[in-house]
Amino acid sequence: MTEVPALTITEPSQATRRAQQGKGYWQRVWERLQRDKVTLAMAAILALLLVMVVFPAWFTVHDPYQASVLHRLKPVGYPGHWLGTDEVGRDLWSRMVYGGRLSLVAGVLPVFLAFLIGGFLGILAGYAGGLINTVIMRLVDVLYAFPSILLAIAITGILGSGLKNTILALTIAFVPPLVRISEAVTAQARHLDFVEAARASGAGIFRILYYHILNNVLGPILVYATSLISVGIILAAGLSFLGLGVTPPNPEWGLMLNNLRQALWVDPVVAALPGVMIFITSMCFNLLSDGLRQAMDVRL
Amino acid sequence: MRIGRALQICLSLAGLTAFASVAEAGGTLRVALTASDVPTTTGAPDNGGEGLRFLGFPVFESLVLWDLTRADKLADIRPGLAESWEQDESDKSKWIFHLRKGIKFHDGTGWNADAAIWNLDRFFKQDAPQFDPPNAAVTQARDPYVANYRKVDDYTIEIGNPRPISYFPNMITWMLNVSPAQFAKTGSWAEFAKAPAGTGPFKIVEFKPRVSATLVRNDVYWDKARVPKLDKIVVFPMPEATTRLAALRSGQVDWIEVPPPDAVPSLKAAGFEIVTNSYPHSWPWTFNLAKQDSPFRDIRVRKAINYCVNRDGLVTLLNGLAEPAYGLFKKADPFFGNPSEHYTYDAAKGKALLAEAGYGPNKPVKAKIMITSSGSGQMLPLPMNEYLQQNLKDCGFDISFEVVDWGAMLVALRNPPTAPQALGVDAMNISLHISMDISQFALFNLSANVPPKGRNWPNWKNAEFDSLIDRIEKSSDQQEMLGDIRKAHEIFVDDPAWLFIVHDRNARAMTKQVKGFVSAQSWFQDFTPVYME
Amino acid sequence: MWAYTVRRLLYAVPILLGVSMLVFALIHLAPGDVVDLLVPPEVPREIADSLRHRFALDQPLHIQYLAWLGRLLVGDLGISFFTNRPVSDELFGALGNTLVLAVPAALLGFGLGTLLGALAAFNRGTGLDKLFSATAITGVSLPHYWVGIVLVAVFAVVLNALPAQGMGPAGIPTSWEQIQHLILPVVTLSLIPMGVVSRLVRANVLEILSQEFVGALDAKGLLRRRVLYHVMKNAAPSTLALMGLQLGYLLAGSILIETVFNWPGSGGLMNLAIFRRDIPVLSATILVLATIFVAINILVDVLQALIDPRMRR
Repeated sequence: MTEVPALTITEPSQATRRAQQGKGYWQRVWERLQRDKVTLAMAAILALLLVMVVFPAWFTVHDPYQASVLHRLKPVGYPGHWLGTDEVGRDLWSRMVYGGRLSLVAGVLPVFLAFLIGGFLGILAGYAGGLINTVIMRLVDVLYAFPSILLAIAITGILGSGLKNTILALTIAFVPPLVRISEAVTAQARHLDFVEAARASGAGIFRILYYHILNNVLGPILVYATSLISVGIILAAGLSFLGLGVTPPNPEWGLMLNNLRQALWVDPVVAALPGVMIFITSMCFNLLSDGLRQAMDVRL
Repeated sequence: MRIGRALQICLSLAGLTAFASVAEAGGTLRVALTASDVPTTTGAPDNGGEGLRFLGFPVFESLVLWDLTRADKLADIRPGLAESWEQDESDKSKWIFHLRKGIKFHDGTGWNADAAIWNLDRFFKQDAPQFDPPNAAVTQARDPYVANYRKVDDYTIEIGNPRPISYFPNMITWMLNVSPAQFAKTGSWAEFAKAPAGTGPFKIVEFKPRVSATLVRNDVYWDKARVPKLDKIVVFPMPEATTRLAALRSGQVDWIEVPPPDAVPSLKAAGFEIVTNSYPHSWPWTFNLAKQDSPFRDIRVRKAINYCVNRDGLVTLLNGLAEPAYGLFKKADPFFGNPSEHYTYDAAKGKALLAEAGYGPNKPVKAKIMITSSGSGQMLPLPMNEYLQQNLKDCGFDISFEVVDWGAMLVALRNPPTAPQALGVDAMNISLHISMDISQFALFNLSANVPPKGRNWPNWKNAEFDSLIDRIEKSSDQQEMLGDIRKAHEIFVDDPAWLFIVHDRNARAMTKQVKGFVSAQSWFQDFTPVYME
Repeated sequence: MWAYTVRRLLYAVPILLGVSMLVFALIHLAPGDVVDLLVPPEVPREIADSLRHRFALDQPLHIQYLAWLGRLLVGDLGISFFTNRPVSDELFGALGNTLVLAVPAALLGFGLGTLLGALAAFNRGTGLDKLFSATAITGVSLPHYWVGIVLVAVFAVVLNALPAQGMGPAGIPTSWEQIQHLILPVVTLSLIPMGVVSRLVRANVLEILSQEFVGALDAKGLLRRRVLYHVMKNAAPSTLALMGLQLGYLLAGSILIETVFNWPGSGGLMNLAIFRRDIPVLSATILVLATIFVAINILVDVLQALIDPRMRR
């Protein structure tokens, strides 16, 4: 099942290596990225996708909500609708572009929110240790008892469908792994020699956090978060597929996939297209995440 | 070793073919339902009308049954477990039912007045050991006119209504009877469900929750003319339309309920039969007449919107699986009458009415409609409603939707239209009416039946209608009643509580091997003449 | 070793308690009320209220929680609001059906994934590596429910070779009649575990191969096979952890596939319970699935500790 990737944290020796790289580390990351053609290509595609969903009017001609009974399920290549029309006669290309908005928001925003919330809690737990750590990590363990999809379905199934609940459910599902990973890398970084030295010399907490911890910790957390995005997109589409996510008549890839299922016998290509979009976007994020991982030399 | 393996394969293949093909005359009919679970087998099936259709009447019967043998006229009632009935001359609120003799339940015990009273106790007597609370609630709601009852003699019972109700026999059809002896033997409804016993032409022999239920022919069925030809019926719940479609096309089932309209042309091309029939199964928008600022409080707006819908276009969208509706009944029904308003697609007339009411190009009628994304009888709510939205725009209606799930809509229905559960909508798109006869017509539209008491969600109140229904209830003259029903319908059309849109033609798709099926003009169907070729 | 196991088991208790509280809170946060779905809309208030009382929905929340917890502890999972059958009957039957899907999918996914991942790692940089890696990443990027639909369309409808839906006869699949129903859903379900395991195995094997001791083993002239054995043994703990997680996800997350294939498993049961607001079934299903997940995690931790004593925490 679509899942949250497993965590195995690196040995302290590698963390030390990274820690000792300081500012020059990010320079090296950037250089490595520049040489990685595949990742750059993925980034370019995603950037294009981003532009398309932020400015959909530049790329589409039709209104994605405009239905037309006479033009239902027209095939690819139909005059005026280059990707055909859906089961109510709406232009499929427009629905895909506008749908990208909802699908991406539903996939990316929860990861971003979980990154902020989970990152904060995890770094706090990892740095503070003691009681704070115990409390936070045990609470997270309770959430961790649920596979992410079960949690997402339970929340949306019970609280109701809609974009807000989908984002809420996915955020809650993603916070635990992000807390765990942030806590793990922070706890490792904290025990490094130069950090101990900084503390011993009386440096303020924020100074330590900013200069020493964050630098080393953000890398792995970022890589992990980007790998979650594709999971988020697939899960959000899956929830809509079950009727628990975005509600009609809004365009969203998972919802479109569900609505077009029946069209499989009338025009299979049109019916398959939203799935292709989900696949491409998901694939791009996965490859991007892999590339970042290579560049940041993170073993996750 | 190899021989054993070959034998194993042969046996499996043989098993497969036995499953797929038929050796006997009648055959096995495999049906895919839209229900999400197998309807309960206790004689009070859930899953609404579909449950009653497959695991209700074929297996369990009521005092009065529906005549499902004709495709050309609206189904009417006929004697069932009671061979005749009449109102008590001295007190019209009492009905005397003369029970049919010689009927045996599937467990061999006999049908008589004691059994009838026992079954009534199941739904109406709180302290009876067989009292079945959830189903009692359902049955009491479907038939609120059972006030009291008693045994008169071994084959006669008397049921009393709170006031004289001439159409009461139509309503007692909703209450099915099971064998008291079988309940005593099994001990509880949960156990009874595993080994049920009714009086119907089929018996339930197997029941696998969420997977299937199997019915076999009752060879000793009391109505010799209607002993089934089929040997077996197996029903499978398949709530997803595409799953049903795939099952039919791959030969896993022979008959599916509600095929997706889009698949109809390709089904026909592939040699399957699409069977529909026309009866008043309404799919309306019911107006909210209690909300102070609802635009539909103005009768001119209600009439205008009825003139502004291109019903034929919608029927095209559905590939013929619905037909236009101009009232609650169909034009061909004897109850339709002759209303003044004929709601053809006449945008000019609609706009003129709106202008009279104070609307115009600069002042469109704003209305919010509650719709669902799916639900029993809701057809294809999203594409259909979106079509209506576009259509009505041309007339000057600015329609927006509040999409909820089926459960939420049912909650809203139970409450007054001004309650928060109604989400401030001006109309509700809900298909609740699974059988159209005078009893349902009255139940839904009497002024007194507003929620939370009854089903008149629109809060439509028409004094003339009420008095007509009152006359009908007290009458016993069939001709007079027919005239009054017609008049009541005319009122209902001319002072519409609904936007009449289409009637669902209740399509089903089946293989060419299914023979003998007569599609009755009713939600319920008779499976006894069906056989597999 | 035993101390570790006992500690892990004891630790599960407060977790499960927390889980039960979360499930209970979640369910009672829901808008609407099950009684509204159980009876037709025209039911008078008094009857609806009496039903509410019968199902104890009018008690204060903490009393309902404690009562529910008490019953759970003696194994009484309650009675379904809708079918009036004991929840445990339905649930364990459904879980059995899901296992029939999940276990073969897990075996297929893990087996194929390990094979592809190891092959990719050992042939790093070659076309084979690229092919297997592409397969893996495709597996995790595809919406598998969509793949299921496509497979049904191709194999069931067009080719008429396999059934389009359903489980066929129940029980452990031994006959072709049962197995033919399994093929499409199992293949669909195995895609993600295959992809995930493959990627992890490749990464782990590569990392181990790059470590000094492998070079040393090679230099010592150890047979390729022995090297392989050492490599796999080192890769095992984290791979096992992942497999445990994946099995848990398969069990809990089969809902999408069960919807597409109309499979009467626990996912389908949950779907039905959500739609019908059947509180006893829903809460029991979520709780049992979470408990199984916790149990699998404990098992994996213990196995990991067994293989690699350094992992004990």
